[in-house]
Amino acid sequence: MRLSDRVTGLFLVALGAVAALAGSRLPPVPGQQIGPNVFPVVVGLGIVLCGALIALGVGRHYEAEAEADLAKIAAAHGEAANGPVSWRRAAMALIPPALLLLYVLLVDRLGFLPTAALIVLATSLSLGARLRLAAWLALGAPLIVNLVFVKLLRVPLPSGLVPLPWLGLP
Amino acid sequence: MSTIGEALLLVLQIDVLLAILLASIYGLMVGSLPGLSATMATALLVPVTFYLSPIAAIAAIIAASAMAIFSGDIPGTLLRIPGTPASAAYTDEAYAMTRKGEPEMALGICVWFSALGGIAGTLSLMVLAPPLAEMALNFSTYEYFWLAFLGLMCATMVARSSPVKAIASMLLGLLIACIGIENPAGTPRFTFGLTDLLGGIEPIPALVGVFAVSEVMRAMLTPEPPKLPFRRFGSILKGQIELTKKYVAPQVRGNIVGIIIGVLPGAGADMAAWVSYSMSKRFSKEPEKFGTGHPEGLIEAGASNNASLASGWVPSLLFGIPGDTITAIAIGVLYMKGLNPGPTLFTERAASMYALYIIFIIANIIMIPLGIVMIRLASLMLRAPRSAIMPVIVLLCAVGAFATGNNLFAVSTVAAFGVIGYVMERNGYPVAALVLGIIMGSMVEQSLVTSLIKSDGSILPFFSRPVAAVLAALTIAALLWPVVVWGRNLARGRRA
Repeated sequence: MRLSDRVTGLFLVALGAVAALAGSRLPPVPGQQIGPNVFPVVVGLGIVLCGALIALGVGRHYEAEAEADLAKIAAAHGEAANGPVSWRRAAMALIPPALLLLYVLLVDRLGFLPTAALIVLATSLSLGARLRLAAWLALGAPLIVNLVFVKLLRVPLPSGLVPLPWLGLP
Repeated sequence: MSTIGEALLLVLQIDVLLAILLASIYGLMVGSLPGLSATMATALLVPVTFYLSPIAAIAAIIAASAMAIFSGDIPGTLLRIPGTPASAAYTDEAYAMTRKGEPEMALGICVWFSALGGIAGTLSLMVLAPPLAEMALNFSTYEYFWLAFLGLMCATMVARSSPVKAIASMLLGLLIACIGIENPAGTPRFTFGLTDLLGGIEPIPALVGVFAVSEVMRAMLTPEPPKLPFRRFGSILKGQIELTKKYVAPQVRGNIVGIIIGVLPGAGADMAAWVSYSMSKRFSKEPEKFGTGHPEGLIEAGASNNASLASGWVPSLLFGIPGDTITAIAIGVLYMKGLNPGPTLFTERAASMYALYIIFIIANIIMIPLGIVMIRLASLMLRAPRSAIMPVIVLLCAVGAFATGNNLFAVSTVAAFGVIGYVMERNGYPVAALVLGIIMGSMVEQSLVTSLIKSDGSILPFFSRPVAAVLAALTIAALLWPVVVWGRNLARGRRA
């Protein structure tokens, strides 16, 4: 997901403008000049300014230096630091956040253990683990995490479909 | 003297000592795994600290972060892959020593000078904090506004990136901090009608997303690092005393630079290591040896990043302004444990502060034996495939975020900030500046708005109080510095 400075800069200009505009419409405190509107307007205008400077390419040479350092380290173990990434591979990167959202959707219905097993299995397989390792992890890791968080830290994780009363899990 | 006795009693509790030991082992393990940074280790530790006593919670954070910063050097030395960003500056140097057949020497330097640097940083915390606290008692909202603003500017100035992008990241963080009803009028702001957003964006889930989830996302696209061949190590500490005597100046310089960078709000261990390494090269009598496995730069930078860790607590404890991303997390824990940062902490809770110093010293001393054990076990540890570690990290992100408030919305926040952090990082926007913006947003706004209300909308009082004027001058200088450099470069470019 490497975008040009022009794209990210213009995005920031738009975001800052919207924030400043929305901020200025906030209702003021009666009888007071300064209210909840001041800060968003100031910050929004700052973002507009920065976005414009970025779109114009100001300060680009500072990055070139840092990138050269990083590239040197990356090259040491044969990895392109900022090489172009195809869209299909870029979609791979979205797997972890997507799994977290899946957790939000499913955990109350399925319970912690099945949901967690699903997440571990999916992450492990997409990182290229063999099925055996992934399956063992998916069985073991959620159970240990569940025991630690429920028994030691008293976090109420939902048990859902798989209650394990003999382990002390509700 | 009685305060010190009291502090010792606070530390010598079984739960505190156990917390130090377990957090140390955890920090060593997480730090040594490439891609898992010290900040991430600390962020994932937070839900655990909820259930500890205040001193044990702080002890766990201090021990885990100090160990992680050191153990990031291990894969750097053996595999040329920095375990944490703080080791990146001198990875090449350490690896060159391994290639010359001296991995023991390199790792010994890392553990020995890390511990010495950590202790130097602790001493600076002990010396600097009380007088600054005395001064800070007289601060009003004007001074706090400038301090917070200066902190944010420092964070952008030292980022290894374009200053404009750093400032943009920081402002983005401030904008995110605007979300919710935590504002001077209690008006819901930018909540888009979602009740979950009324309370604002919690810093901890945002941090976990930016530092942990985005790292897992990156792992999805990069090839697995190579495996470490098994090797037997000779004596790790052999020759370290001689090196300590031989390289006094680099060591002192490294400690001082680390302390200064640590005290500067927002700049942390990774910055300290980069600055110290290049400084060491510039001042060295034999700069041509750098990069070929020369101990000098390793000593200076290794001491520096650990020194910065302790001194980073100075602004955090005094003003609630984080010295780096690790103390940014620690501040949240301090508030939760009733140790609200501020100058009165040093008068009212003096025993707790002494306890904190003692914990720092203990952590840095046990770093040496535990670090040596870790070095010997490193080849085993580094054998763990990434496909076994990352799934557990994802799981811990979900459960940890949920545990911060028993609220599933926090897990969605983690996912969102994972994506935001990943996209920003890829495009050269420093995420540390974003995080500091989020954490300090409400403080900056509160001090700005309160000051403006006090002065009836006039900006004159921001400059008329003596300390405020000095801080204002510093902040404006920090703001204009990139412009000056840019203008000079432009002029030079024209001439050439």
